[in-house]
This record gives sequence, C-alpha cells and structure tokens, in this order.
Amino acid sequence: MEERQAAILAEIPRMRRYARALLHDLDAADDLVQDSLERALTRLDNWRSGENPRRWLFTIMHHLFVDQFRRSKRRAETSLLPLDNSEAMAQPAVQFGHAANGEVLNALQKIGADRRAALLLVAVEGFSYAEAAQMLDIPAGTVMSRVSRGREELRSVMDDASRRRAIRVVEP
Amino acid sequence: MIQRGYSERDIHLALDGELPPDDLAGFERWLAANPDMQALAQRYTQDRQQLVGALEGILAEPVPERLSRLAGAKPRAGSDSRHLFRYAAAAALFVAGGLAGYLVAPQFSSATPPLVQMADNAIDAHLIYSNEKLHVVEVGADQRDHLQGWLSKRVGVKLIAPDLKNQGFELVGGRLLPAGKKTAAQFMYQDATGNRVSLYVTRDETGADTGYRVLEERGARALYWLDGGYACAVAGSTPEGTLSAIADATYKQLLEDQKG
Repeated sequence: MEERQAAILAEIPRMRRYARALLHDLDAADDLVQDSLERALTRLDNWRSGENPRRWLFTIMHHLFVDQFRRSKRRAETSLLPLDNSEAMAQPAVQFGHAANGEVLNALQKIGADRRAALLLVAVEGFSYAEAAQMLDIPAGTVMSRVSRGREELRSVMDDASRRRAIRVVEP
Repeated sequence: MIQRGYSERDIHLALDGELPPDDLAGFERWLAANPDMQALAQRYTQDRQQLVGALEGILAEPVPERLSRLAGAKPRAGSDSRHLFRYAAAAALFVAGGLAGYLVAPQFSSATPPLVQMADNAIDAHLIYSNEKLHVVEVGADQRDHLQGWLSKRVGVKLIAPDLKNQGFELVGGRLLPAGKKTAAQFMYQDATGNRVSLYVTRDETGADTGYRVLEERGARALYWLDGGYACAVAGSTPEGTLSAIADATYKQLLEDQKG
C-alpha cells in the first residue's frame, strides 16, 4: 500500500503541470488534482500491479476533467473554456511568467480543449499516441489528428498575437 | 527499396516520436529537399520547446500540502512512509545533480533549494510584518529616496520601490532583513481596503533567469523569480492574478531602472 502511495505522490508534480496547462488557473488545477487523487485512492484496487501509475492517474484525471467540463457547460459557466469557443477566455485569469511564457500559455488556452489535452499529453507529457488514446478513450488516429491540429492552431494563435503586438508597437 | 512519399503529417509523427525508424532517413532527405517543410518542422520544434519551457517551473514547485497529505498520509504504526520519499528524493537529487537539484519537491529533501528557501523567507517575512500594526516598516514611504538608497547599499543591488498604483497598491515603506548570510529588502504595500502585499528582494549571484514560480504555504503565496541579478518574491494572501500583475510591474520596473 505504501509503495503505491509513494508512487502516486511522485506523480503529483506532473499531474499539477498537466492540470495547470489545461485549466490555466492554479486553484482550479489543484482542485482537479485533488479530486483525481481522492478518486485514485478510493480505487487503489483497480490499479493493476505493474501498471504505470502515471498512465492510470492521468486517465482518472482526464475523466474528471471531462465530467467537470460537461457540468460547467451545462451550467453555462465561463470558468472553463467551451470546447470550440475560443473567445470566452480571451483574458485569462492568471498571467504566467515572463512575456514569452505567458504568450505560449495564453495561446494554448485559445485552442479547443480536446486538442489542447491531446497536445499536452503527447508533446509535453511525452505519452505515445497509443497511450494518449487509451487515456482519452479515442482511437490513436484521432489522437494524431488532434495533436497535429492543436499544433497548427497554437502556431496560428501565436502568430496572430505577435502581429497584434507589432501593430501596437507601430502605433504610439 | 520502395521510396514512400512524405507529407506534413510526417513532421508531426517525427516530432512525436511516432515515425517508424525505417522512415527516418527518407524523412530527413525529404526535409532537406523541401525548405518550406524544414522551416515548418523547425517552427514546431521551437513552439514545443517554448511550451515545455513555460510549464517546466510547475514541476519544481513544492507540492501543496493538501495534495501531498492525501497521497502520503496515515503511515501505519511502526512504519513511516515519508522515509521512502526522502530516499526517493535524495536519489533523484543525486541523479539530477547540482544543475536541477531544486526540481525535487523540497519538503521531501533534507536540503531545501536556495530559490525555494528565498520564497519561503519572503512568505515568513510577509506574514510577520504585514500583520504588524505599529511597526510595519522601518522607513516609511515619505522617505522613499532615502529608503531606496539605503536598501540598495545594504543589499548590494540597485533597488527601487516599484510604483504599483496601477495595481491598486500604495507603498507603505520598507525594511532590511537578514537572508542567511546575506541581506534582503522588503517593501510593503497596501491597497485601499488594507490588504498588504510585500516585495522581497535579495542579490542573486548566479545571473540566472527563471520564469515565475509559485510557492503556497500557511495561507499565503509567493510568486518568485530570478532575473538580472535580482532574486525577487512577491508575497501576499491575495489571488494569484493580483500577485501576478504586481510581479509583472515589479519585474519591468526593476530592470528598467537598472538599465536607465
């Protein structure tokens, strides 16, 4: 039991990173991690021995994120980004880090949540398409297309932002 | 051997480590022959580096107690699961070496990394002095020039008390604090409703430049960073958005002043 808890504890920093990148809000992200840990601990028996704890925990976290997301959509809250409406969160609640960091993280919030999740799992967390497919419960081909579309969107959002900045600099 | 055709799709596959090894050489040749595609591949690589870099700091943050308690809690009699983590942390520290020693969650390693220690000191100093009624500061905002000159001299870097009016905070004043064997400056600010935030600055010899990191403990949080020879932390019990705006203004004004 304790070995399992130690393995779970070791995954918390990565879970926080994924949650924060997904939600762009420190408190909401840590709430998601907390809910995921609570659920994981009540279901330790579901964790097959030998199974990578990271994959197991991220799967739990993703399911909770999706549930939360659907609920918030039903309540028409704007605290979470609607799947395909990028304008709702044009002004993120939290500005991160230095200019370049803030820029890429703000851009990330403007791409659809399903593509954002896929891109983060593969490009940041280093999961394979097959692993991400299992977590997201979609075919690997869909992971591939979400990652590549997410990447294209991120690029175009960042390009737009830098164009707007260039215009601001020109206008005194 | 049959040459297969390549497309933009393969750029994504290669980037994600999903391109079959047998296709790699062909893919590289295709890239070399298609400058547009090569530029795109470089751009995506660069975007990914930026994304990973922007999120890296989160791994170095100490795990909030509400989370670590969940996973590590309730050691049974006769065993202390925390020992296990301490071993793990020590091993990780050993492997990571000096370079990334502070990537290990500090509460589980015996030596708290200096940067986190700095943020921790900033929170301590904030909690102590922001709750002080009579002697919040040593030198008041009415002697701003003297305060800045004195603290710059004692801390050993050019310091200013940033103007945070746009963020809704007025300078109350500042004080000199010990920071290990060094000294630190604390500038205290207050908003119209009496909420206080403080800026804690020491000299940084490493010349490193980090993004913002967050430390939360004892009901307060600090946003902290290294840049331009400053080690700074903005501490308060205000929402992270407010702290972040203050940190941005501080960061900008400190560096501008240093240049000017």
